[in-house]
Parts: sequence; structure tokens; C-alpha cells
Amino acid sequence: MLAPFDVPYMQSALLAGLLISVPCGLLGVWVILRGLAFFSHAVGVATFPGVVLGLGFPALGPFAGSLLAAGAFGAAVSSVETDHRVRGGAVTGLALATAMAIGAVLLTTVAKVSTPIESVLFGSLLGISDLDIVRCAVAAALAIGALAALWPRLAASTFDRAWAAPAGARPARIDGALLVLLGFTVVTALPAVGSLLVSGLLVIPPATARLLCDRLGAMTACAVALCAAEIVIGLAVARELDVAPGASIAAVGGVGFALAAAVAAGRSARSRRMMSA
Amino acid sequence: MAAGATVTADRLSVSFGGRPALSEVGFTLTGGTFAGVLGPNGAGKTTLLRALLGMVQASGCIEVRGRPAYVPQLATTSEAFPIDALGVVVMGRYPRLGWRRRPGRSDRRLAAELLGQVGLTDRARSPFSALSGGQRQRVLMARALAQEGDVLLLDEPLTGIDGPSQATILEVIGAQRAQGKTVVMTTHDLGQAARECDRLLLLNRTLIADGTAGEVLTPDVLRRAYEAEVVMLAGGAAIIDEGAHHSSHSH
Repeated sequence: MLAPFDVPYMQSALLAGLLISVPCGLLGVWVILRGLAFFSHAVGVATFPGVVLGLGFPALGPFAGSLLAAGAFGAAVSSVETDHRVRGGAVTGLALATAMAIGAVLLTTVAKVSTPIESVLFGSLLGISDLDIVRCAVAAALAIGALAALWPRLAASTFDRAWAAPAGARPARIDGALLVLLGFTVVTALPAVGSLLVSGLLVIPPATARLLCDRLGAMTACAVALCAAEIVIGLAVARELDVAPGASIAAVGGVGFALAAAVAAGRSARSRRMMSA
Repeated sequence: MAAGATVTADRLSVSFGGRPALSEVGFTLTGGTFAGVLGPNGAGKTTLLRALLGMVQASGCIEVRGRPAYVPQLATTSEAFPIDALGVVVMGRYPRLGWRRRPGRSDRRLAAELLGQVGLTDRARSPFSALSGGQRQRVLMARALAQEGDVLLLDEPLTGIDGPSQATILEVIGAQRAQGKTVVMTTHDLGQAARECDRLLLLNRTLIADGTAGEVLTPDVLRRAYEAEVVMLAGGAAIIDEGAHHSSHSH
């Protein structure tokens, strides 16, 4: 089990992965409960042109580039989506496609990039620097701190916004804080899992946890643990099979989700039988 | 304090995107009043409650003396949220705790007691999503009680739920009134409102009538509010047929 992690670059990837599993699991719970799965996938994809620009212009760098792109995407979607005629993910889908197109154009014109495109889209085991590890630790600390402070407001405004708003939960501010945290976490996770598969960490583990848990606390703990497990196994598989880590991590998550769905289906069939007996 | 639980609106008007939703509504409800807000769909019943809560931009004057507690329509809750019945009631303590402090043992004890008041002690640990509509509505009622408000604003708390749950909620409302609290409830059920409320506000974008059931539920007034055929039955119940194109059903 530990054999794949016997080289320094794998240990860096493992450390970064374990750290990033904390904010991904913690925030992913709210991504699932608030129906933000498509949005968070789109934020990941939308960073693509930013990463390309950052790689093309070292003064900017891929981290700042992707952070800018994520911010621009969030601002664009949230300002246009207030128009009730284009709700329901239409704007998100449109912005996602636009970002991808801009990235593709930049890749072949302005910013001639030597980095293989697969590692931008699907992540790379070799790309994890010490600075990335520090950023993952910062993302983890930010998520823990923010969620600890905002938990009651977040829970109440997610469960029943119509009640929470007049009761003083300030849901609009909570939305904003959540999106900023989400954007930072997505950008931090990019080097390991890539633009296209970052939602594998933000969506799959908490969705799996929801199938297994009926309490918020349990779901949160389960999501973080599943995220960490997915990363450890996914990284090992990536090394053994020589595939991009984003792909193997998401694939491991998919298998985990399928198993949990089977367990949940078995459970509800059993309880139906007990009810009818 | 409950004794001062007064709700006043004066020339209260609300419009959404230039379209008037409420205009020039005025009334005063004193402590211990149980007011029923009636009117057809789109009459502005929910908007009135939200205006009293300060959640929509309104012109005119609104004064809610005392802390409000709110029960929105059941459909506003999330099905997917992993929480049990007791957890929902404990949530009602968050505003009192300033949204920062975590609920303590005394908050949990109070929440459990309130769940008992709505007859759901045995369902405390059941997931909210596994409860029936009536049970969920009772849980939301208990959450509002946990807010320890002086003015209860209830948006259709009796609509579409079973008889026993309705009776339990009405019992809880009675106990709140007895403590001098003001209760404002929107409803579609004219007969029930006539029986249970001591004050009726009949709305259709403006206040059509305000008074006791005897004063408000007259054919003339109802016709003005519902712009429809009205048949008065013995005992004061009314059948209303909204929209003239359905008038054949009203005979």
C-alpha cells in the first residue's frame, strides 16, 4: 500500500492531497446540499484560461491566473443569473463553454505553453511544489475557520432560507463567503487534479456521504474521510498505472459512490421488507 | 414583552418591478389577537407577512412591537438536508443565541419540550424528510416557538395537512394567545378562519375588509375580494368559485 509513496514527489502529492481533502470535504457538503455541483464543476473548468495565461506569462503564474479566472467567472455568473429568464444553470453552462473556448484559443495563440495540456486538465503527480502544499494548508485552515464561525447561519439558510433570512442569518453574505472559499479551494486543488476533474473531489465524496449519513455532522466527517481515502487510493493508482491523478481520483470516487448507492438501496429494501412484514 | 406584542401597518404598500402587490394596507393588531389573513391566490398574503418581517421593500409604516417568529410555507424547507426533527427545533434557538454561540443543554431541553408540545416526542430522532406533511408542519411550529417571539407570523400552517396536526397547531396557537402573544396566520380556509380567528383581514392587493367573521364574511365583501361567484351556506360557510369561467360549478 505504501510502496507507491516511496519517492519524494509522491510524498508531496500525498501531503497536498490529504490537506486539500479537508476543505474539499467540508465545502463539498454544502455544494451538495445547496445544489452547487454543476457550479463548482464549472468554476474548475473556468480556471482553464487562467492557468494557460499563467503558464504563458510566468510573471502572472498559474495560481494567480486561475484565481483571477475563477473570480471573473463567479462575478459573471452571479451578476447575470439575477435575471430570472436565464436561471437554472444556463448562465453557468454558457460561461463554462466560453471559458473553455478562451482557454483553447489562448493555448495556441497568445500563450504558447510547453506544459502538456493533459496535466492542466487532469492534474499531474509531478507538479506539486512546496508552495502548493502551503496553499493547501491555507485552504484547509480557511475552510475550518470559516465553517466553524458560519455553521449556524450556513445550516439554517441551506435548510430553510425563507425562515433564516428574517431570523437574521444573512444568507446573501453566507452565499458570497461560500463561493469565495469554494473558488480558493478549487484553484488550490488544480495542480493535483486539473481543471476538468476538480469536481471529483468537491462533489463525489460528499454525495457519497449523503447516501450513507442522515446527520449533518456525520455527513461532514464522512465526506472528509472519503475525500482523503479517494485521494490516497487515487494517487497510488495513478503512479502504478501511470495515468493522470485527476482521472484516477475521480474514478476511485465513482466506484465508491456506486458501492454506497448499492448499500443504500439494500438498506431501504430491507427497511421496506421490515415495514411490510 | 408579550403585553406589548402589537402589529401596526399604516398605508403599507409593496410593489415588485413596478407592479403593485399590496397598496395602502392599514390595521392594528394588539396582544392576544389571532388574526386570519384571507384572500385569493396572489392577493398578497405572503407578501404582507414578509413586509411585516422587513423582508421586502415597503412604503408606508410598519411597526412590529415585540420579537417576531416566523413559520414560512412548508415547501421552503430542503428535502435533502440531513437533519432530524429535534435538530430543526434546536435551529430555532440560533437567532436567540446570536448566530454564533452553539446551542447548549438548556436549548436542547427546551427544544425537546417544544417537540412534546406538538406531540412529536417519539419522532425527535427521525429525519425531517421522513416525516409526514403534518408532522413537518408541527416541527416548524415548534421551531418558531423556540424563537420565543412575541408575534407569530404563520404562512399557511394548516394548508394540506391532516386533521390531528391541524388540531395540535391550533391548540399551540391558543396557548400562545393566552400568553398575550399576537398571531397572524394566512389561510385559504374561510370556514376554519371564521371558527378559529377573532379577527379576519381580507386581502386582494389591498385590504378589502377587516373585522370579525360576521363583518367580513358577507357575500358582498367576499365577491369584492374574490371577484367571483359566492354562495353562502347555512352556518356562514362560503363556497367561492374563483374566475367567472368556472361559474357553472357555483350553483
